[in-house]
Amino acid sequence: MVMSKADAFTQAGKTAVLQNIQGTLQFLQRFPPFNQMEHAHLAYLVEQCQLRFFAQGESIIKPADGPVEHFYIVKQGRVVGERQHITKPGTETTFEITTGECFPLAALLGERATRTEHLAGEDTFCLQLNKLAFIKLFALSSAFRDFALRGVSSLLDQVNQQVQQKAVETLGTQYSLNTRLGELAMRHPVTCSADTPLREAVKLMHEQQVGSIVAVDEHKAPLGIFTLRDLRHVVAEGVGDFSDAIEQHMTRSPFHLSPDHSAFDAAIAMTERHIAHVCLVKDQRLCGVVSERDLFSLQRVDLVHLARTIRSAQRIEQLVTLRGEIGQLVERMLAHGASSTQITHIITLLNDHTVCRVIELTLAEKGDPGVPFSWLCFGSEGRREQTLHTDQDNGILFDARDAAHAAEIRGKLLPIAQQINQSLAQCGFTLCKGNIMAGNPELCLSRAEWARRFAAFIREATPENLLGSSIYFDLRVVWGDEQGCEQLRRGILDQVADNRLFQRMLAENALRNRPPVGRFREFVLARKNGEKATLDLKIQGLTPFVDGARLLALANGIDANNTLERFRQLVDKQVIEPLDGAAYEEAYHFIQQTRMQQHQLQTRENQPYSNRVDPDSLNHLDRRILRESLRQAQRLQSSLTLRYQL
Amino acid sequence: MSLFSWLRPASPVVSADLQQRLAKLPALAELSECSLREQRWVVLDLETTGLNMSKDRVLSIGAVVIEDGAIDFSQQFERTLQCRELKLSPSVLIHGLGPTAIAAGSDPAEALLELLEFIGDSPVLAFHAPFDQHMLGRAVKEHLGHKLQHVFLDVADIAPFLCPQAQIREAGLDEWIEWFRLEVFERHNASADALATAELALILFSRARAQQIYSPLQLQQRLSQWKRRQQAPSF
Repeated sequence: MVMSKADAFTQAGKTAVLQNIQGTLQFLQRFPPFNQMEHAHLAYLVEQCQLRFFAQGESIIKPADGPVEHFYIVKQGRVVGERQHITKPGTETTFEITTGECFPLAALLGERATRTEHLAGEDTFCLQLNKLAFIKLFALSSAFRDFALRGVSSLLDQVNQQVQQKAVETLGTQYSLNTRLGELAMRHPVTCSADTPLREAVKLMHEQQVGSIVAVDEHKAPLGIFTLRDLRHVVAEGVGDFSDAIEQHMTRSPFHLSPDHSAFDAAIAMTERHIAHVCLVKDQRLCGVVSERDLFSLQRVDLVHLARTIRSAQRIEQLVTLRGEIGQLVERMLAHGASSTQITHIITLLNDHTVCRVIELTLAEKGDPGVPFSWLCFGSEGRREQTLHTDQDNGILFDARDAAHAAEIRGKLLPIAQQINQSLAQCGFTLCKGNIMAGNPELCLSRAEWARRFAAFIREATPENLLGSSIYFDLRVVWGDEQGCEQLRRGILDQVADNRLFQRMLAENALRNRPPVGRFREFVLARKNGEKATLDLKIQGLTPFVDGARLLALANGIDANNTLERFRQLVDKQVIEPLDGAAYEEAYHFIQQTRMQQHQLQTRENQPYSNRVDPDSLNHLDRRILRESLRQAQRLQSSLTLRYQL
Repeated sequence: MSLFSWLRPASPVVSADLQQRLAKLPALAELSECSLREQRWVVLDLETTGLNMSKDRVLSIGAVVIEDGAIDFSQQFERTLQCRELKLSPSVLIHGLGPTAIAAGSDPAEALLELLEFIGDSPVLAFHAPFDQHMLGRAVKEHLGHKLQHVFLDVADIAPFLCPQAQIREAGLDEWIEWFRLEVFERHNASADALATAELALILFSRARAQQIYSPLQLQQRLSQWKRRQQAPSF
């Protein structure tokens, strides 16, 4: 296309308006939160800015400057944070801020001096906004305010959109585990009345080519469900008469969900209950049936089948083979855009099934000891936060009249427990290095013995006891009666609520693992023995959240074990702000997701499994969000510092 | 009336209002001994119809301010001058000012006076400053009958003076931007060039301090010594 000369001239003339403001606007619009701010607000920001140069090594702000007077955005270069060592001379680099990022939000919002000296890591230009303009912008722009207060969350929204986008691309359809069930059940359900003869009902199923029929009353409320599996039973047992009414053979009061539940909810229900069909009920009327096939033909993620195979395995060797399939399942689910929460939930379910089956098989082999007991799990298993790679953390709880009786029962149970531990190890649950296993006499206890042990943890806050409480207080029953465990948990909650000193010690403990915020580039620079320096996603990323949530939950009588569930209940109880709760949840979620992707990558590349990640291997947005997520961990820790005056 | 008066351009007719404003312009001072940071600087760039210092005209002016050691975005100057007798020429594609934009431009006398008010008594920085000084001086004379007396310092001199290791004599703005790895926005007009020049100046001031040059006066003196040395014939 040839532009006439005059046109080209006119075109050229149009770009001349306030070029410098425009150029800065366009620059900022490449970075969050500025890309989400209204144009007028952003223009206000730019017009109020100064552009300042800092030569390499020059101090930008430091603690001695007093309350922070400016907000800075890095236009070019790199700013590093240097903190004086408390115990020894010299400084350490605590964070790093690069192009498009801003500082020092916490100090500015807290109207205090910065705690860390900010230095130019290289020749650097910063846009500098004075405090008055910052405050005005904070009031004007909700996007800016949101970012200043929560940082990570506004960024995470963007990542979530990207992840979903990717999932849609892979699937080629809109279907994902988050799809509404109402959208999945496209066909009208096949129904009949409860007195329909079996013969008629089966004929109907055959004609309609469906695997289930629902018996309903006159208001279309479901009374029972009859599936092909039930038909097999009728035929196999040979007792049934096909002129019997269907109600004699159907499953009564079938499990149901609303059409607004997600495909994930249905998958979980099927896995938990060993069912292949879920009725959809709205206003007490049947409006659809979702089958296992409806769910998984979309994704070939045969979760329910896997769960059922585990529960019906006849030998340990079979369970060992099935472990491999769990790995593949996780791989496929990640590829389909499942979230880390969904995946840990599924892994926990399948692991629970495996543990139960191992216990059942062992009891069948060694003979029932004739003593009822419950199989407990602790740590991440107790919190339902397992990944594919987990250690065993388990114990046994039983009821005994007195010490002698307890010792007698223990004698019976220990050989069985040790056998179970070994079998679980065969199935891929690594033996616990610290011997926190049911086969250990100290972890095969009566209720009274457990209660005494836990009380001692709370009463005498030695380092070992604190560590112990961080493992054992996330207890849960995997197999057996749950009542005893429930009573133990109530006891823990009551004692912790009364013991402010113990809470304080737990809080100190929760500050042990400091998130390595912003040390990324330094990690790469500081190679040790030729290896790239990395950060530990579990210990430095997740543990601060897990420890913080546990402390707050125990102190506030919340009996949930799962970290995210604890945050949710803490928000409900108004212990933490809803915005904070959401930010913690998202940050935790993101770190866990990164960790799992890392594990999958390691598996694919036949590398040993590790929680360490080289931040440079992440893309720019992921790296930045990881850092923001770690900052949320830092915020949680500083809120504990404040709450417990540490 | 002098015989040759018709050869000289007639003095412009300047309105009473503009006269009053001209009279209020601050008196100009020599460069002072205050610190580089305390000094307010105006960084200027002009777009002209060409490079002929006696014939070509100023088309647009962009200026930014360095105050308190930083470029202050709230003080920006940007004007396109109205210019009736302008012919279309390919240089339009370089300076980016179309005939419509120029026709819609500001009245030159008004715009130039606003510029003088904007500059105040601050020294002026520009890349290839003598060119801008001359062109602006001519325009101010022509439209306002006023003599431009500001101190101009040439960033194209300051840069090689403070960074001899760069080894890029006679370098243009682009070369210096590259040398300092400056990430500048798209620049196709006077304002953007003024901003890039100002960013360069901030770096140079920092380099100056590292070389024990603390005040604008010192900078000017050391710079002219350096220039004399450069121009001295070497045997």
